[in-house]
Amino acid sequence: MSGPDRGGTGKDWDEGGPERLYTVTRGRAQPDRTSVELVSLIVARTEPQPGMQPEIAAVLRMCQFPLSVAEISAYLVLPVSTVSVILAGLLKDHRVEARAPVPAAVLPDPELLQAVMHGLQNL
Amino acid sequence: MVFAGASPGGRRPASTLVWVLPPAATAVCAALAVTAVPAGARTAVAWCGVVATLVVAVAAAESMRRGRLIATLRERFAAQEDGLRRRLVEQEEEIRRLARDLLPAAVDRLRRGSMVDEVMKDIDHAPDLDRDFESAHRALLRAVLETVRAEEDLRDAAQRAFVNIARRVQAIVHQQAQDLRELEDKHGADPEVFEDLLHIDHGNALVGRLADSIAVLGGSRPGRQWQKEVPLFNVLRGAMSRILEYQRVDLHSVADVAIVGPSVEPLIHALAELLDNATRYSPPRTRVHLTAIEVQSGIAIEIEDAGVGLSAEARRRTELVLAQASTGLDLNDLGETPRLGLAVVGRLALAYRFQISLRPSAYGGVRAVLVVPQDITCPTPAPGGAIARAAKLPPPKPVKRATPTPMPARVAKPAPDHPGFRQNGAGLPQRRRRMPVVTPPIRVDAPPPAPAADRPAEPAAPPVQPGMWLAAFHQGLSGEPSDDTEATEATGTPSIPSDPTDPSNKDE
Repeated sequence: MSGPDRGGTGKDWDEGGPERLYTVTRGRAQPDRTSVELVSLIVARTEPQPGMQPEIAAVLRMCQFPLSVAEISAYLVLPVSTVSVILAGLLKDHRVEARAPVPAAVLPDPELLQAVMHGLQNL
Repeated sequence: MVFAGASPGGRRPASTLVWVLPPAATAVCAALAVTAVPAGARTAVAWCGVVATLVVAVAAAESMRRGRLIATLRERFAAQEDGLRRRLVEQEEEIRRLARDLLPAAVDRLRRGSMVDEVMKDIDHAPDLDRDFESAHRALLRAVLETVRAEEDLRDAAQRAFVNIARRVQAIVHQQAQDLRELEDKHGADPEVFEDLLHIDHGNALVGRLADSIAVLGGSRPGRQWQKEVPLFNVLRGAMSRILEYQRVDLHSVADVAIVGPSVEPLIHALAELLDNATRYSPPRTRVHLTAIEVQSGIAIEIEDAGVGLSAEARRRTELVLAQASTGLDLNDLGETPRLGLAVVGRLALAYRFQISLRPSAYGGVRAVLVVPQDITCPTPAPGGAIARAAKLPPPKPVKRATPTPMPARVAKPAPDHPGFRQNGAGLPQRRRRMPVVTPPIRVDAPPPAPAADRPAEPAAPPVQPGMWLAAFHQGLSGEPSDDTEATEATGTPSIPSDPTDPSNKDE
C-alpha cells in the first residue's frame, strides 16, 4: 500500500499509507472457505465500477486476463492472505472466477518422451 | 478642616451674647440687692455682688470656651469622617476593580506567556490613592500573579512531560507498526500467523491513537507526518484502522479527492476519535456509516450511528466541550475517554479549521459531520488511491497468451528504472517488500548474450504455463538467485535454455 513515489524520499516517518492491513479485509485473515490457492488463476467476470473498494477494482481491472493469486498479491503489494480474502468475497459474488492451475505433473516431460522415443527406436 | 473656622465664625456673636447674659444678670441682681438692703449692709452686699458677678462671668467665659472647643472638634470629626468614608469608598472600588478587571486580565496575559513584571508594569492604578494602600495593592497583585505563574509553569512542565512521553510511545508504536507490516508481508501466506499479526497490529494502532491524543492535548501535533497528499479513501480507512470496532464501520461513497500532507494526520486522528465515539455509544450489532461528499466549502465527512443519540442537554454539553478545547490539557480529563476524545477533536478542529456539528441522526443516533475546508484538499492524482494506481496498467498477460514465445524480442529496459519490480530468472516481476509500485511490470529481457546460436530452441518451446511461472515465482521470492534458476529448470521449465545465461539473474 505504499504510495508510488514514497519509497525514494528516504523519510521513514512518511512511508506507507495511513491504513493498516486489517481494514482492507475487515480483520479477516483467511477466507471462509478456502477456495483460492496461491496458484489458482483468477479471471474477472465484471468490469470495475466506480465506488468500489480500490483493491477490488484493481483486481477486476487486472484480471481481464487470468492472473494467479500470487501475481495479484505481488501487483497489489498485499500479502497473499489479504488477497485471498478479497478474492473469496469476489468469488462469492461471482464477480471473478477461479480456475484450477495446470498441475505440473500433467504436462508431458520432454525428456521422458525423448527417452520413450529412443527406447522405441532401439527396439 | 478648611471650613472649620468659617461656620463658627458666623455663630460666635450670638453665642458670645448668650454667655454675657449670666454675668450681666448677676451684676443687675447684685445692684438691685445693694439698693434694696439697709445702708449698713450695703458694702458687704456690694462685695458679695461683685464677687458673685465675677464668678459667674468666669464660669460663663469658661463655658463659652468649652462650647466653642466642642463645636470645633465636632466639625473637625465630621470632616475627618467624611474624608475617611470617601477613602473607604475609593478603596472598595479599587478592590472591586482588582477582582473584576485587573486580575482576570493579568492572569489571562500570564496564560498567554507574559512575564509577571511586564504585566505589573502595564497595570494602571487609581491616581488618588494613598501610597500605603497602593503599595499593598501592588504587593497583593504581584503575589497572586506570582502564584498563578508558578502554577502555570507547573502545568506547562506537566504538559511537556506528557507530550514527551507520548512522543516516545508514538515512536515505539510507529516502529512496531513498521515491523508488523514487514512481518505481515513475510507471513502473508500463513493465514493463522497472519491473523495473529493483524490482531497485534490492531492493538498497536490503538495504543498509537492514545499516545496521539495525549500529544494533541499537550499542545503538540499528532504523531506521523505525511509529505505527499493522501487520497481521502485511504485517510478514512486510516481513521478506521485506529478504533477498536472498525468492523462495524461501513465505508460508503467517498469523494475523489486527496488531503494535503500536513493535514492528513490531524484529520485521521479527529475522525478516529469521532468514529470511536460513534461505535462506543451505539449497540454492538449496529453499523456506523461513514461517507464523504463534496460540498461547497470543502468535503463533508459524515459519521452516522444508530445509538441512543444525544439529548439536547447532552448535545449542548458536548458542543461546549468541543468549543472549550483551547484551554489545554486538564489532567482530570485523561481518565475519561469520551471527554478526552472530544477535547482532542475540538483542539484539532480549532487548529485545522474543521467544522464539526453533532445532530440527531435519522437512525436515531448521532450524525457527526466534519467539514474539511477546501484549501487542504486537492485533486487526487489517482482515484481510489495508491492501490488502484499501482494496478491500473495491465499486467503483461496478453503477450503471454498471444504468442507461444513469451520470452524473446521485447524491448529491454534497464531494470533500475523500475524500482517497484525486479525480474527473476523466469522474467516474472518479483515483489519487493515495502517498495512502491511505480510502473507496470514490464517484462525485461536481457539482450541475447549469443546471437541466434543459443536461441533457436526457444520458438520451439511450449508456451509457458502460468502454474509453472509460479514455481519460478516462489523460488524467486524465497530462494537464492543461483538456486532460483536451478530450481526453475529442475522443476518447471526445462525448455527455456536461456535462463542460466540471462544476466538479469545476476543482479538479484
